[in-house]
Amino acid sequence: MSLIDQKIDSISLSILWSRLISIVDEAGTTLQRTSFSTVTRESNDFAVVLMDAHGRAIAQSSISVPSFLGVIPMLTKALIKDYFPLDQWEEGDVVMTNNPWLCAGHKPDIGIVSPIFHNDSIIGFIGTIAHSPDMGGVLWGAGARDLYEEGLMVPPTKLYIKGVPNETLFNIIDHNVRASRQTLGDIKAQVAANTQGIKSLKNLMHENDMTDLEEVSDLIINASEKAMREAITKAPDGNYKYTYETDGDGLGTGCHFEIDVEIKGSNISVDYTGTSGQHPLSINAVLNYTYAYTAYPIKCAFSPEVPNNDGAFKPIKVWAPEGSLLNAQKPAPLGARNITGNMLHSVVFGALAQAIPDKVQADCGSACWCVVLNGTHKGEEYVEYFFLNGGYGARPGLDGEHVLSFPTNVANVPIEVLENDVPVMVTQKCLLPDTAGQGQYRGGLGQRFGFKNIGEESINISLLTEKTVTAAQGLLQGENGAMGGYQIIPERTFPAKGLDKLHPGEELILTLPGGAGYGPVSKRKQSAIQMDKKLGYVS
Amino acid sequence: MSKLKLGIDIGGTFTDFVLYDEKSEGIFFAKSLTTYPDPTNGIFNGIEELEKRFGLDISKVETIVHGTTLVTNAIIERKGAKTALVSTRGFEDVLEIGRELRYDIYDLFLTMPKPLISRDLRIGITERVDTHGNVVTPLRKSELASISQLIEKEDVQAVAVCLLNSFANVEHEQTIGKYLAKHHPEVSISLSSNIMPEIREYERSSATAMNAYVQPLTDQYLDRLKQKLNHKNFTGQLLIMISNGSLTTLEGAIKIPIHLLESGPAGGSMAGVFIGNKLKYKNLLCFDMGGTTAKASLIHEGKPEITHHFEAGRVKRFKKGSGLPVRIPVIDMIEIGAGGGSIARVNELGLLTVGPDSASSTPGPACYNLGGTEATVTDADLVLGYLNESYFLGGTMQLSRQKAVEAIRNTIAKPLGISVEEAAMGVHRIVNENMANAARVHILEKGMDPRHFSMMAFGGAGPVHAFGVARLLNAPSMIIPVGAGVASALGFLVSPVAFEKIHSHIKLLDDLDWNYVNDFLAEMTQLGNRFVTDNSKEKNHEISRVVDMRYEGQGHEITIEVPDGVLSADLKEEIKSRFEKEYTLRYSRIISEVPLEMVTWRVQVKGPTPSIEIVQKSDAVDKTIAIKGQRKAYFKETGYLNCNVYDRYSLRANEKINGPAIIEEKESTVIVGLNGTFYLDKDKNIIIEM
Repeated sequence: MSLIDQKIDSISLSILWSRLISIVDEAGTTLQRTSFSTVTRESNDFAVVLMDAHGRAIAQSSISVPSFLGVIPMLTKALIKDYFPLDQWEEGDVVMTNNPWLCAGHKPDIGIVSPIFHNDSIIGFIGTIAHSPDMGGVLWGAGARDLYEEGLMVPPTKLYIKGVPNETLFNIIDHNVRASRQTLGDIKAQVAANTQGIKSLKNLMHENDMTDLEEVSDLIINASEKAMREAITKAPDGNYKYTYETDGDGLGTGCHFEIDVEIKGSNISVDYTGTSGQHPLSINAVLNYTYAYTAYPIKCAFSPEVPNNDGAFKPIKVWAPEGSLLNAQKPAPLGARNITGNMLHSVVFGALAQAIPDKVQADCGSACWCVVLNGTHKGEEYVEYFFLNGGYGARPGLDGEHVLSFPTNVANVPIEVLENDVPVMVTQKCLLPDTAGQGQYRGGLGQRFGFKNIGEESINISLLTEKTVTAAQGLLQGENGAMGGYQIIPERTFPAKGLDKLHPGEELILTLPGGAGYGPVSKRKQSAIQMDKKLGYVS
Repeated sequence: MSKLKLGIDIGGTFTDFVLYDEKSEGIFFAKSLTTYPDPTNGIFNGIEELEKRFGLDISKVETIVHGTTLVTNAIIERKGAKTALVSTRGFEDVLEIGRELRYDIYDLFLTMPKPLISRDLRIGITERVDTHGNVVTPLRKSELASISQLIEKEDVQAVAVCLLNSFANVEHEQTIGKYLAKHHPEVSISLSSNIMPEIREYERSSATAMNAYVQPLTDQYLDRLKQKLNHKNFTGQLLIMISNGSLTTLEGAIKIPIHLLESGPAGGSMAGVFIGNKLKYKNLLCFDMGGTTAKASLIHEGKPEITHHFEAGRVKRFKKGSGLPVRIPVIDMIEIGAGGGSIARVNELGLLTVGPDSASSTPGPACYNLGGTEATVTDADLVLGYLNESYFLGGTMQLSRQKAVEAIRNTIAKPLGISVEEAAMGVHRIVNENMANAARVHILEKGMDPRHFSMMAFGGAGPVHAFGVARLLNAPSMIIPVGAGVASALGFLVSPVAFEKIHSHIKLLDDLDWNYVNDFLAEMTQLGNRFVTDNSKEKNHEISRVVDMRYEGQGHEITIEVPDGVLSADLKEEIKSRFEKEYTLRYSRIISEVPLEMVTWRVQVKGPTPSIEIVQKSDAVDKTIAIKGQRKAYFKETGYLNCNVYDRYSLRANEKINGPAIIEEKESTVIVGLNGTFYLDKDKNIIIEM
């Protein structure tokens, strides 16, 4: 385990490594505090990654959401290979793209990469990815019929050339998106975060007389890979299969997932062959995104402590057939791919429960439900996002938490903030008794949330629900969680996923699904049953 | 003795005392063990010691300033009162649902903090106010009887009331408050519009629930303390230290006890403010390292930095988001899991890590010889020769060097294939790095330069590590203050009486009704003036008016000082430029096209800051030679060196001595590294030049 044969001793490496992580965290904080997008600032929907000259990740900001795992290094490697070879970068350049196949699977996620120079040569890259307030097209959600309805796509393009802004590109974005000053503000915040990261890195290199990142990078990546492999080796070899159904459009065209997780020595290969094909709704995932949401639950179960870098992910391979729901091709619409990605942990844990039952959790009341409201208020156009979560799955030894985000990690928007921002009034927000899947350990409760249009104009609404016709699946004889549902008052039809209008006076009531149970109900402790009754979690 | 002031700080293990005699400028320190369940016993044990050693007569004490961990502990240990919550009907679960966010994204087995008020004790009332404060549904008074039923059935001792949008209209909460006061005079009542009148229902509910939860026990405790002091013929003023570094009255503390959450640490920072001002250090990094944690706070331009984001009762101590939020003004403090007891180990990646878990007091570090086998920071410091195995805590505890060596060899040196000394130095360096790293990020986030901050170190382990941390931050100099072992209690004696009021009013700068703003600012100022005049006997008040503002659409606010005098639209440009200056400092840019939004206005009225002159009257006998002896100590650059060991109590003032050196005092040991120089100033502080 000793690293003393290297030029950098293990203690210096520990120190350097934590400095590198604090550099990306610091840049991340700046991005979060100066961004307009609620998703970025309230829900940590961003990542900052420091890479070596090959585009290999050395350090990733610690609070980023799972959807960005491994994405920026993949983007950077693709940039170097297919768009801007190393000799085409200059100091002060910044490259931007929101190509979903290169970035995080839908257009609002913008990737921004800057080279880091030392003594006139590239020693590394720093990249940020963040969810922008808007990229044009139809209102974000599952409502687009193809990729082109989802707004502007910027292929990898220099946003700054030697420090000089590419005004044409800024102009094009400005003319194509809603609330453009906020979107542009967030893009500039990403650039500022990169710049800050570069500055801090240069200080660190100067203090430590470093000329490049190669050796540190090798050591970090190798140590992480080794630790990840050691963790995987402990699990029994085998092929673990599982199938899973989701709502799809919620009207009968559901989605079917098939997984085959092969654990062999220190490697894990995941194959999704047999999964549904591309869906007509924009809930299709690209392979980058499928990878991120597959690697995430694997890492949680095997080795949560290993830091995020190229080494940690080397042992994990993921495949889904081209043209399937999980490896969508152009021009499939992708906007609400999070609904699909958010379900992959259920499939992965379902399979892994056969290999490592004490390290996985039962299914959550995911995916996270999303509501986007758009209209004018006090004479200004607004786009307001808010999120609601279902119950958390039960774990071996622990009940699931009520109403908690998983696998993504998005906070709710406070009711008072929502009412202050847009002309709606919230009519209720409460835990929903009897929605948890029972078991030796029960799932967490779902919630009910209602709101009413109290303005004078109709509000454009994009709604994303899940588990309204399917349920969170219990694990190892645990019971399923309750399904969710929604209702509009006065009653009329409303799409489970897609676009509609909420007219003045109308109220939308959303009922979020509960988390599933773990282990047989017969083994549940009496004291736990009584406590659930006393607190009204069970009626 | 006359004109006496007494500072009393109750910590987890010790209760600290600082007695100051204004007339003779004498200062006396004492410590007693904190007693459970009734900490007033520990207080009177300490007072007895002060009586014995220094002839204290408590009836002649003019002011007692008190701080305690009572409130913090009640929340951590869940030992508060049985409390009910009244909310708007349909929103009873807001307190339990929280923000729906996980504080650790890789831990599948995380648990969220349980609400202080369980579901069976939460009750909804029909009423509704909109975001502008208009009543949409009038309060249904017929339902109030259901609160009475709950109180009686469940034997409820405290009630928190938090209704939606009550920051914009307090009427309904007040009606409920009046009803409860009339029908249940024995029950403590906390209204959210009094406790934290700010937007965000979960955070406001959380603060209000917490306040109600700790109110009965704070009331009982302070009442008991007062009775006991009266019994000893104490007739002076009893003031309470609160989290923002100011003092309040007994009544103020009982009304909003959550302000006591960080009273001890706030005292430490205020000691820093005092000593810094005295020595003309405008910018200081206060570094306090104890058994389980290291804390740091900034003093900028002679003032402590304040934040309004705080959490109590964390499920995972050092994990942000794992606690219950409480938005009160507290001195901005970073806390990391790096104390003397923090455990060092080689992790799964083959790297050395230290903390955040700690060996606590039993079994404690391996060198305590109480059965601990894991290597801790204290073990490393002992192996390196920084600590004296027979003079730990002034010689009250014998350490085992052999056990320390074994622990470090087995858990670190062997797995890494390095020598015991290299391993110990690695532990020492990593702790220093962790602290420097956290401090560096904290300072940079505020747009300031770490090199402009000198360091002040206290706490048991602070002076051992301060030199290393200061080097990493390129701090120009370092102070180890007199009374470093009782810094908080010392800080209590140099903090002003103050009163703070907040008003949430979310409006664009361009849309403000300036008459309205001037009116509420004047009202808040008047309330503050009255409070301070009543309790500090001084009319010379310092008024600070600040506003939290942001770019419209952003979520993070920056606090700006409001221009003096009557405000008007003419001052818009001035306010804007103050905001932009601060924004640029932090983020190196401005966003000129986006309008500015004002969120929360705060007025603080402060009395004069008391000053003390320190001539320490120690009961130790002065020696003529300060050098106690020599000891081998290990330094990264050179390996082992023979170092002089000095006795702090015998150092002569203003005599410059070159490092490396070890200075021993009862509560701690000061390490001066290579190329450092130190001297004792006339006030008995040790000043180290880097």
